[in-house]
Amino acid sequence: MNKKSIAAVIAAGALVFAACSDDDETADTTMTADTTMTADTTMTTDTMTEGTTATEETAAGEIVVEGAWARTSPMMAEMGAAYFTITSPVDDELVSASVDPSVAGMVEIHETKENEAGEMEMSAITALPLPAGEAVSLEPGGYHIMLMKLAAPLEIGSTVSIELTMKSGATLTVDAEVREEAP
Amino acid sequence: MRHCVVCHVGNFPASAGDQLVVKKFLMGLVGMASLVLAACGDDATTMGEYMGFRRDDPLQVGNLTMTRAFEDGAESPFTFRADDGKLLVVYFGFTNCPDLCPTTLADLRSAFRRLPGSEARVDVAMVTVDPQRDVPEKLVPYLKSFVADPIALRTEDESILEKVEDGFLASSTITTEANGRVNVSHTAGTYVVDSTGEVVLEWPFGIGADGMENDLRLLLEDLDPA
Repeated sequence: MNKKSIAAVIAAGALVFAACSDDDETADTTMTADTTMTADTTMTTDTMTEGTTATEETAAGEIVVEGAWARTSPMMAEMGAAYFTITSPVDDELVSASVDPSVAGMVEIHETKENEAGEMEMSAITALPLPAGEAVSLEPGGYHIMLMKLAAPLEIGSTVSIELTMKSGATLTVDAEVREEAP
Repeated sequence: MRHCVVCHVGNFPASAGDQLVVKKFLMGLVGMASLVLAACGDDATTMGEYMGFRRDDPLQVGNLTMTRAFEDGAESPFTFRADDGKLLVVYFGFTNCPDLCPTTLADLRSAFRRLPGSEARVDVAMVTVDPQRDVPEKLVPYLKSFVADPIALRTEDESILEKVEDGFLASSTITTEANGRVNVSHTAGTYVVDSTGEVVLEWPFGIGADGMENDLRLLLEDLDPA
């Protein structure tokens, strides 16, 4: 019920990073922990994109991403969000997302949920579980790929290429269409 | 004309309870909690169901005031009542909000587009819960990207914001981390206010464009029976 302005000191490196940032750090476009993936993974890395569907061939099958879109960002907005449905053939986790710095300066995997005060809050998550064969939806009010420090407004009709990295090492590139509304 | 109001109690704080509530709408009657679809209006052809919910004891916000901000820095006093013959939709949000706020505002925009002429009869106000960052020259254009003539409400006086939030049973919390990162959490409901300052309907987040379209259509019909 009450407005609270809390200047809380939260330990650096805390897992729960939330929403919106003012900090001026630039540098890498990925911020999620545990993402020091190196190139020596044995997974195939070729990616296919076709429309808004992307698949990643792995030994056990394909990771399928469907319905990828990003909401067009108002002129003044510094933040954007992208959504899709992802299905992994094996138990895995989405641990990282990144975009070209010309699109956004920082990318995180976020979850919006209600806190104890009945308020909705966003926090970064370090891993989004992908149970084998289960379609996991990133959608408004739930999980989203948070595009922070947008370099320019997300224009309708353009696409944002988002590179996703799984805990297994699998990667794929998703082309999210910029739209006013969900497809 | 009568409408059934089926109250879907969502994630609002202090909501009316978990039962479905059916009541006659805009009749000024205190609704009785009862079973779905009991006591619906007697005019089947105009009967409709609201997707939002209405409290047994609706919020009265007509005595709350705030400052309306304009892009050029001008300000004017604002009272939470719709103009005569119109409705007022109120949302609490902030421009650096990438998920809930643009989803809600885009859904509202979609509802307006599907209901020709509706936007002229519904004013949209957003109270920024992040006034330090949402300066008028940023807040107003942000809202204009969703609706043509938005009402941007902003105060740097926390006690005023708190009073307004309390009146709507809304709340927000801003937390600033040591690294300067600002976290904003806020209730995400949307409120429909009439010209008396009564909150006639509340939309929990997730009601979507379909729900808003449905409810605005019914509300506007009630406002001005054809």
